Parts: sequence; structure tokens; C-alpha cells
Amino acid sequence: MAIATTQTAVSGLERRPPRRPSLFRRIKEHWADYLYILPAIGVMVLVIGYPVYYTIYLSFFKTPPSLSMDQKTFTGLDNYALILTSSSFRDTTINTAIWTFFSTLFAFVLGLGAALALNREFVGRGLIRGLLLIPYVISAVAASYVWRWLYHSDFGVIGAIAVALHLSDHPINFLDNVHTVLPSLIVVNIWKEFSFAMIMMLAGLQTVPDQLHRAAMVDGAGPWDRFWHITMPHLKGVTLVTVLLMLVANLNGFTIPWIMTGGGPAGASDIWITQVYQLAFGRIRFGPASAYSVILFIVMMVLGYFYVRALGGREEREE
Amino acid sequence: MTKSADRDRARFEFNRRQFLGYSAAAGLAAGWLGSSAGVFADEKTGVDEATWTPDYINSIAGTIDVDTKAECAKVVPLDYKGKLTYWYVGPNQASTQIDKDLDVAFWKAFKETYPNIEVTFQNLDYNQMLDKARTAALGNAAPMLAKFPILWSVEFSAKGMLMPFGPQDVGMSNDDFWPGAMKSVTYQDKLYGIPTNNETMALIWNAAIFKEAGLDPETPPATWDDLVVYSKQIKDKTGKNGFGMVARANAGNTPFRFMPQLWAYGGGVLDEADPHPEYKTININNAGSKAALQASYNMYVRDKSVPTSALTNTQTENEDPFVAGQLAMMISHPTEYAYMIDRAKKATGADKQIADQVVANMRYGLIPKGPARRAVVFGGSSLHVFDKSVVDGGNVDIGAVKALAAFYCGPEWSTKMAWVSSNPGNLRGFRTKWMKQRLEQIKFLNVTTSMLPYGIPYPVIPESSEIMNIIVPGMLQNALTQKMSVADAAEDAAKKISDVLNGI
Repeated sequence: MAIATTQTAVSGLERRPPRRPSLFRRIKEHWADYLYILPAIGVMVLVIGYPVYYTIYLSFFKTPPSLSMDQKTFTGLDNYALILTSSSFRDTTINTAIWTFFSTLFAFVLGLGAALALNREFVGRGLIRGLLLIPYVISAVAASYVWRWLYHSDFGVIGAIAVALHLSDHPINFLDNVHTVLPSLIVVNIWKEFSFAMIMMLAGLQTVPDQLHRAAMVDGAGPWDRFWHITMPHLKGVTLVTVLLMLVANLNGFTIPWIMTGGGPAGASDIWITQVYQLAFGRIRFGPASAYSVILFIVMMVLGYFYVRALGGREEREE
Repeated sequence: MTKSADRDRARFEFNRRQFLGYSAAAGLAAGWLGSSAGVFADEKTGVDEATWTPDYINSIAGTIDVDTKAECAKVVPLDYKGKLTYWYVGPNQASTQIDKDLDVAFWKAFKETYPNIEVTFQNLDYNQMLDKARTAALGNAAPMLAKFPILWSVEFSAKGMLMPFGPQDVGMSNDDFWPGAMKSVTYQDKLYGIPTNNETMALIWNAAIFKEAGLDPETPPATWDDLVVYSKQIKDKTGKNGFGMVARANAGNTPFRFMPQLWAYGGGVLDEADPHPEYKTININNAGSKAALQASYNMYVRDKSVPTSALTNTQTENEDPFVAGQLAMMISHPTEYAYMIDRAKKATGADKQIADQVVANMRYGLIPKGPARRAVVFGGSSLHVFDKSVVDGGNVDIGAVKALAAFYCGPEWSTKMAWVSSNPGNLRGFRTKWMKQRLEQIKFLNVTTSMLPYGIPYPVIPESSEIMNIIVPGMLQNALTQKMSVADAAEDAAKKISDVLNGI
């Protein structure tokens, strides 16, 4: 028993991971390394850290429309209460959820489909891949203006084609209708974004061992079985990272709704980020706009936490 | 008939009854309002709205000689020695050559007039100037003098960053400038600037489409009610859109085109249309405002005679349909004619033929009047002097400031510097030989000029941009999408304006 206990104690000692030195200790031991990144940290503190701090600070104040900041008054959580209880917050939150969820879902699915199609050799593969990348590289502003004209309720190309093909007897109202405006903008966003998902998933598909597919084929597995049981498990990590990045990008997706509709008609395409902009630069209410930004920031920090965990999980698996 | 059609018809009939009711109420108030505005214009400026017609403008041009040097010398001696810093929105790469040439000529002439005044000036981009001025003032690095587009100065006046300054400081009188312009440089009964130039818009129409629709091609709609009728007739007879409505959210173009309608019916946001506004009374939900909103509703929802895309259009999106002969009427600046010529030049093939015909059939006329008045948004720019507490160096050379202000705001240079797209702020400018020259060179200028007596500036309060660019378009969109009824949309806007004014 004593030997067993000793053996147990020895093996227990061996199994316990070494204690990680504290952050302060690590900095002290590697101070020269940290000096190299100090300028970058300084810049980040200046252009990211201070604005974040000041936004959070301002969210507790009421600022006058004349921008006399020395006349701002401390209001505590009033700005947060104002936003969370406003009649438009519910509608804007629903719009934001719909915009973010469906943009991410369909852009991902489309991107995955394109990646699967491009993952095999065929003539013209390089050309097709290049063409499919075009939406991603076009500036969002230029794309928004072009799509605005494609969708135009009176003279849009899409409406004209629908009339020519007898699918409709008049031009289709995409953007000037409270029911169709948000889905129309989501389509533009999906078109703009799917290439990103395609590139990420294409990179992930290179890590799927081909011999697994061949073995599965020998065993009689069909295409769907191979995809679901071999390909997707290997793509879990990159899927999570891609979806998280797209969720964050879509939550911040300002350009398309702002340029195409300005958040209208009647607030039907207003999302959180356009509301923040309108509050800050249209209504000159930096207090409530900052509070809104903090709410958005908290949501994105939660997503960011899962992103970092997902990345950390991948690194551990690779080790 | 289906139940939904019955409901639609009932709603239309109810709205029609409401519209007639609103118009009647608006009309009762109109007589008092209209006469007050007219009397004010007559007494203060000697300009009679009734006689300030395109023909009259042509007749007075070139009737006075101006000696700018002599007039400036009465204000500041020509040998005055000083230094001045000055910011303004001047010509850029996209500006016409004549704008650029006149800018160069201005500085050359000022140097010849005041050789001992050293001016350090910055020509800034329109989209950058306001933020740059805000930042500079907050950092005590503002210039001594700045030329701001109308109403930009309100926030600086409210913060005590501007020095009281007016026409009297440069040997001129308030009566030398438009009442609307003087309102825009007045904050809490004190003057904080001198107008340099002012512009308004006019109604533009395609005479060929009017003829096609059975309307007199040379006669625009006299009233807003007529415009609604014309728009419907054009749509019914030609299939083309009648009026180029602009109702985009968060867009400055929208109130510029809706406010003239609102004021014409006797409405308004606050009391900005009154001769002596106090900006406390909310008028967005009065009978006149509701009548104006109902008229827009009738065009967009009932008659469908305006572009469906009006809810996302700015004026830019009206220009292509207009030059393609698919839109009959719109409200815009005198420069619109130059834009159409430019577009016609760039068109090719059959499109070019159509565009050339549109340009040949383009007409300008007065913006229609309503039961209360004829009205237009008063645009322009003014000179403002920053308080020494926020000026770079902590000192304002008031002699140099007065010299430049007297030079710029006098009849000669207020006319020349407004050459392409505006009008002299100084009323005497309309009588100079340079105005005569402009009228000969720029087609339709006399028409937009004749709208000036009807100009009303937006409320001169810091909250103005929020109210005009967000609440007013929001009200319009709530009514036109039928998210709210016309009455409810107006009441909703009134509540929002009340909240804004109460700091909520």
C-alpha cells in the first residue's frame, strides 16, 4: 500500500501541470520583448483605449446640442434607461437581430457552398474563384450605390427585368416598402460577404485529409454522409471563427443600410449602429449615443469572448 | 368590391374630408399670416414681394455705380496695417472655372485695396469645415473671421464663441440685407454676423411633358393644390411621374423641399415663419402643417403621381429621370440647369436626343404658393467673428476684420462671389452692373432671384439640424408609409420636437 501510495504520489506529482508564472513575473523576465511592442501598445491606447474610455464616461452624461462639453451634466444611468425604454429600441433591436442573423446564416451557407464547389479541380477554377471574390473587394460604398439603382422602385434594372419577363406588371418596390426593405438590404449584405466565408472555408477544407474521404467511399458512404461525418467535423473550428467574425461585422454593418436607405422608410431598416450614428451626428446627443455604443460594445465583447475561446481551443487541439 | 378596397376608399374619403378641413383652417389663418409677412418685407427692405418679379430684377440691374474702395475707406482707412486669419468654404477642383477665377480676383483686389493688411486664409472643404471650426474653437485655435453656411453659426453663438457683430459695424444697415438672412445671424436678439450671399430654389418643369399632359407648357402650377392636381394629371395622361418628391430619412434635401410646402399652408416647425420668431411655439401639428402633409400623402399614396422611390431619393436621384424626360417637375437651385446641360453633353445616341429636348424644354418658375404664403428655404452664408477667447493667439484685429467684412459684404464683391449659384447678400448688389452681367449669362437666375423675398430660414436654435434633418423627414415617412395617419404623424413630430426643446 505504501508503495502504491508512493507511486500514486509520484504519478500525481508528474501529472500536475507546472504553475504558470504571473503576468507581472513574465513581463519582468521578458521586459526587453515588451519594450518592442510598447509603441504599438501606446498607439492602441491612444486610438482605441482612450476613445473607449471616453465613450463609456460620456454615456453617463447629458450633453447639450450646442456641444458645450463644459455644460454636460451627470445623469447616471438615465441614458441607458432612456434607450432601453424608448419605443424605437424594440423595433431597432428586432431589425438588428434579423439583419445580423440572416446575413450571417445565408452568407455562410453560400460561402460554404462556393468553397465546396471550388475545392475540386476543374477548368477555369482560378477564374471563377477570382470572380467570386469581386463582391468582397468592391468598396461597400460603391456597392451600396450600385445596388440602390438596381433596386430602384421606378427605374431599377431588377424591376425592369421582372416586367420584361412578365413576372410583374410594374416595377418592384424593394427599398421604399417597410416590409421588403430589410430583406432587400440583407440580400446585398449576403452578396457582399459570402466571399469572405468562401475564402475561410476553402482554407479550412485544405485541412481535411483526402484519405478519409477515399476510405469512406470504399465503405460505401455517399456524398452527404462524407460531408456531414468527415468534412464538417474538420471544419468546426474554422466555422466557429468565421461565423463569429461575420456576426461582429454584421452588428457593425453601417454602410449598406445608411447609404441605401438612411435607416428608412419610417425606421424599417434602422439597426443599432445607424441609430448610434443618428443620435451622435444627426441629433448631436453624445450622451445617449455613447450609451447605445456601450450596449453594442458589450454584445460584441461577448461574441469576442467566444471568438477568443474558439481560437484558443484550436491552438490547443493543434498542439 | 373587396373589404380591403372598401377600407381603402373609406380611408381616402376620410382623409379627403380631413384635407379639406385642414385647408379651410389653414386658409383662415393665412390672411393674417400672409399680410404680416408682406408688410414686414415692405417696411424693412423696401422690397415689395409683389413687384420683385423676374422682369423687375432685370430692370434694376446695372442702375447704380459702386466705388468699393471709397465705401471701405469710410469704415477702415485704406492704409490700415493689420493681420487677419480667415476660413471659408471656397472653390474646389469640381467648381466652375469662373468660381476659381473670381476667388483669385477677390484676394488680388483686397490686397490692392488694403495693401497693409496681411490675410492668412484657409479655403476648406464644405464637409470638413464645420468639424474643423468646432475643434479649433474648442482648442482656442479658431480664426478671427469665418464664412459659414447659413445656421452653422448658431451653436457657436450659443456657446459664447462669437463676438457680437453686424452690418452697423461696417457702415451698413440691417435694411441692406434680406430679413430672412438677418434672422439667421440673430441669436437671442443679438446680431452675430453679416450675410454675404443668399440663395433660394425655384420650381423647375419640363414644358414638353406639360404639353403632353394637356397643360399649358409655359404656366407652372400657381398653388400647391394646383401642383397636386398637375402631378396627377401628368401621371394619368403620360404615365410619367409628376412631381419629384424628396422624402428620404436623415437627409437635408428633404426639408429643403418639404418646408416651403409646410410654410405655404400656414404650418411650420416652430414660429420661424413669423416676422419676429421666438422659437418656442410648436406649429408642426397645426392645421396648416397637417394640410401640407395631407397634400404630400395625396400625391404619394392616393394618386401615386410621384416616384415610388421618393422615400429613399435625394434630389440627385431626381436629376437622371428628369433629364431622361421621365419626371415633370422638381424643386432645385439655379445650378440645376447647368447640371442638365452637363448631363446632356455626356449622353449618347437616343438618350442624347431626349436629354437635349429636355434641356430645351426646361423652365423655371416661382415655387407655388399656399393658402398662407409663398415660401422657400433661405440659404446662403454669412461672416462671423470669433471671440478672442477662442481665437489663436487670443487676439482679434477688429480693424482688419471690419476691412475684409466691408469689402466682401459690399455690393460689388457680394455679387461677384455669388456668381454661379447664389445671389448677393447685400440688396444693393442687385442694382450693379455685375448683376446685369450675371443675368445675361445665367439662364433662369432672375427667377430664383425673384424667390428671395419669400425666403424663410430654419429656426435659429442649436436643435435646428435635429428637427429639420431627422424629425421632419421622419414625420413625412410615417405618413407616406401609412405607419401613422397624417394627424398622428404630425402629433408624433410635435411631441418629438417638444422633447428636443425640453432637452429630453
